[in-house]
Amino acid sequence: MTDPYRLLGVPETADDETIRAAYLAAIRACPPERDRVRFEQVRIAFEAISTAPRRHAHALFDTQAPTAQEVLEVLSADWCPGHPGEATLLRVLGRGA
Amino acid sequence: MGSLRRVADPGIGIGLLKYTKQRGAPRVAFVTCRRHPHPAHDVSGIPPSVQRYPSMSSKKKAKPARTAAVAAGQAGSLDPAGLASAALAAARFKEAIELFKDLLKRERRPVWLEGLASAYAGRAEQLAAKDMVKEALALWRTRAEACQVPLLDGPYVGWLMRAGQIEQALRLLPSLDKLPAAQREQAAAQLAPAVLVAPDHLLAGLSPESLAHRTAARTALAVCTQRGAQDDPAAVEAALQGISFRSPYRDLRPLLKGLTLLGTDPAAAAASLARVPEQGPFRVLLQALRVCLMPGGEWLAGLRTLDDAGRTLVLDLKGCPSPQRALVLDLMARSANGAPVPAELFDLLQRHRRVLPDGAARSLALRLLPHTPQRLDAFRAGFGSLVAADQERVLALAAELKLRPDQAEGHWLRLVNLLGPSPSPASRYRAALVLRRLADAHTHHSPDGMLCGHALDWLQQSLKLDPADRDTHLRLLRDARREGDLKQARTRFDAASRQFPGDALVLQEGVEIALAAGAYKKAAGLAKQVLQADPINPRVRTLVGQSHLAHARKLIAGHKLQPAQRELDEAALWLRSAADLGQLALLRGFAAETAERGDSLLRQAVADLGGSLVGAFHLLLEAKRVRPRSGFAPQELLRRAGVDTKATPDAAAVLVLAQALHATPQREPAVTVALGVLTAMLTRAAPRLQLSEADHLLLCEALHRHGQLELTRRFAAAALVRWPGRPVFVYLEAAACFEAAPWTMPQAEEERLDRAFEQARDQGDQRTASRLSKLLDAASGPDDFDLPESLLPAFDAGAIGGALDDLLQSGYEDEILDLARRQIGKGVFEQLRREVNGSKRQFAEALVELLKAAAVFEAGEPDFEPAKIQPPRRKVRKAAAVANQNQTDLFDD
Repeated sequence: MTDPYRLLGVPETADDETIRAAYLAAIRACPPERDRVRFEQVRIAFEAISTAPRRHAHALFDTQAPTAQEVLEVLSADWCPGHPGEATLLRVLGRGA
Repeated sequence: MGSLRRVADPGIGIGLLKYTKQRGAPRVAFVTCRRHPHPAHDVSGIPPSVQRYPSMSSKKKAKPARTAAVAAGQAGSLDPAGLASAALAAARFKEAIELFKDLLKRERRPVWLEGLASAYAGRAEQLAAKDMVKEALALWRTRAEACQVPLLDGPYVGWLMRAGQIEQALRLLPSLDKLPAAQREQAAAQLAPAVLVAPDHLLAGLSPESLAHRTAARTALAVCTQRGAQDDPAAVEAALQGISFRSPYRDLRPLLKGLTLLGTDPAAAAASLARVPEQGPFRVLLQALRVCLMPGGEWLAGLRTLDDAGRTLVLDLKGCPSPQRALVLDLMARSANGAPVPAELFDLLQRHRRVLPDGAARSLALRLLPHTPQRLDAFRAGFGSLVAADQERVLALAAELKLRPDQAEGHWLRLVNLLGPSPSPASRYRAALVLRRLADAHTHHSPDGMLCGHALDWLQQSLKLDPADRDTHLRLLRDARREGDLKQARTRFDAASRQFPGDALVLQEGVEIALAAGAYKKAAGLAKQVLQADPINPRVRTLVGQSHLAHARKLIAGHKLQPAQRELDEAALWLRSAADLGQLALLRGFAAETAERGDSLLRQAVADLGGSLVGAFHLLLEAKRVRPRSGFAPQELLRRAGVDTKATPDAAAVLVLAQALHATPQREPAVTVALGVLTAMLTRAAPRLQLSEADHLLLCEALHRHGQLELTRRFAAAALVRWPGRPVFVYLEAAACFEAAPWTMPQAEEERLDRAFEQARDQGDQRTASRLSKLLDAASGPDDFDLPESLLPAFDAGAIGGALDDLLQSGYEDEILDLARRQIGKGVFEQLRREVNGSKRQFAEALVELLKAAAVFEAGEPDFEPAKIQPPRRKVRKAAAVANQNQTDLFDD
């Protein structure tokens, strides 16, 4: 994900304290020994928007294009795990062995 | 599945014809044999090379066998039966089918029938592997009829299910009982999904036991798909317990359990799914559930491996609302061949913008715009208007991404004009940020790191918009100080001090400016303020201490010994490093009022500094610094300090001297004088030194750094005796001999340097390779300077040369550079900038010469000679000049 706000789960209007709190929560949930890549992403996201000047610079000069992955994450942000109907399941089972 | 058939025929031999599947590819091969009718062939005349396990996927490997078999057949050594068996063994099933059919027309031998059945099976597998399932089913039926083998043998039921012929599959239920027990169980398992989903009226042939199994499975299915099933694990468990271990639906238990755990406990769901066999009858459901468990967005790629029903199930489980499914499937399709390019993603967002959360589509599309600026109109049409500032920002970033800095600069400046006048502090701050970015871009291309006129203007303008940026204040005042414009530097320092009172970095700059101006009292006062804010600031301590030492030297030179001692006492409060304290001790010796006291202090200082050689070096250095113009008697001084100049220094002493040389400012005139006195000692040491290679290199580099050519040559030559041909010493020796006049280098020396260059490059020593290359270039003379074509039509001959000169004389170098950059383009301009090097003024002068020459050339003057770029003149440090002027009235500020 290339959008630091989305990665940290904060709105674009968030202040320094909110962003820092979100960052600390993110690295607690995902320490480097568990998922180094994710941890690195979180760290980079925090550095990009941790202060007001950095947020302004990010808004002006960021050139990272969103990816298909990010579009999917935006799309699925509000999804709640669903429940397949019996008919759907039977249709899958009927597709053969 | 696999089958093993006994083959016995007088014409073929005896063996077992094996039909197996390995990694999805059918294989048919003879695995044993008992009789060898032909001395060259064992079974049915098949050469030994064919009797391994050829597979469809190894057709190319089997080709020699085929060639051998055909060749043998043509030569009459193989009969038709042998050829058929060879074709079968080589997985050439179509050919084998025809050959076995021909044989069976002659005589219906069981072994040939078996061969035909195996050939049909192999061919059907080939077709099924190509997704030609209907053709495979037809061939399997032909196989059953022609070879009298059971239809349910092999993968037939699975193919029926795959082709959606569930009714056809269910019609086989009554015939299951006729199969042997093992095959019956296997066929029942394959039919299980079909039986499970079939309507009741098609299940007439189902045994009561099978019917009971089915009922239990359907019940479990119903319970697990009920809304809220995950909240009632007991009910789910009870329903799943209803599926017995002997049931053909037993794999459904972990599958359904995993299904109910997907949303609440993915790890437990994954563990449950791990218990399901990969190739079991419910593998389609297994695959779909595994896609659901894929981390992050990987499931999008996993979705591609599923059919429509599987995708629907995954999207149901993910909770994807129906209106958004088209976008998900579009994303999936676009990601099939790697990540979609920004334009594709933009189009996709535009098409599906209404199904995305509020504002999300616009925000994502806006971020894509710098990569697809041609979609600006489409953006406005799809997402509404774009404010002028956003448009300029997008176009500036787009130009930067396309490496068009001139275009980008234009857009950024327009953005500043839009944001700057705004009353909003955020807009003004952003305008300031843009200006600083522009200044950075210009400074980045400047070889000496100095700010050009534009960059200076932009930074000053940025401070008007955002005066609270300390870095910009510091940058501006440092630039003024480095340029020697101390008045401007003081003005900027005052502005920065007002903005950041008590800031250590700003005050430190104030110290530097005061020292550059020779205002030592002011420097000391500012330094004390710095140390209040930053008590261990070593830079400031050294600066102030050194300024006291400099003042003391001046006083000693003027025989004002008591004030000099006071200065030295003051310096002692600031200085901490051993080298600084050594200087202080020597100066105390010079400032002593009696000769005895002075001699004693000098002897002590020389000993403290590290012995005869390095002590003598520092002593001579300080003596020359105290009396830079008038002569001094070095031998007398050395005698007074107790230095024995006739001794030969050992390796440790020479190494300490090398370190001292490295710490001394480059090419200080006093160094040459000091080393001149010590040359005899060093020359004696050169051939006897037993330093390590690294230490030897340190010494040579130190001498080379201070322009000690003869000593460098001697020590490099001594190093080459110990490490022959070592490129770095070859360079240092050659540089010492020829750097001053490279054109005098003989051919043999150039060849030696060439070899050293190759060796350095091969060893990965890029620094030495680069130094050798530069030396060789200097030896072979400068290349002709190619005047860019684009320069020629840009200027007319005649008056323009004079006009450019006038501009230059009037201090309009920025305008000249700007004009040249616009005329010849950024790329050529930067290339010239790099080649010319030097300061901005020197570059402007060189450029004017070139432009004048270009104009003359364009005018076609007969005696035209290409312009030569003059090496940049040594920069005159205005600051130093001012400082010297102020030495006469120290502490006057």
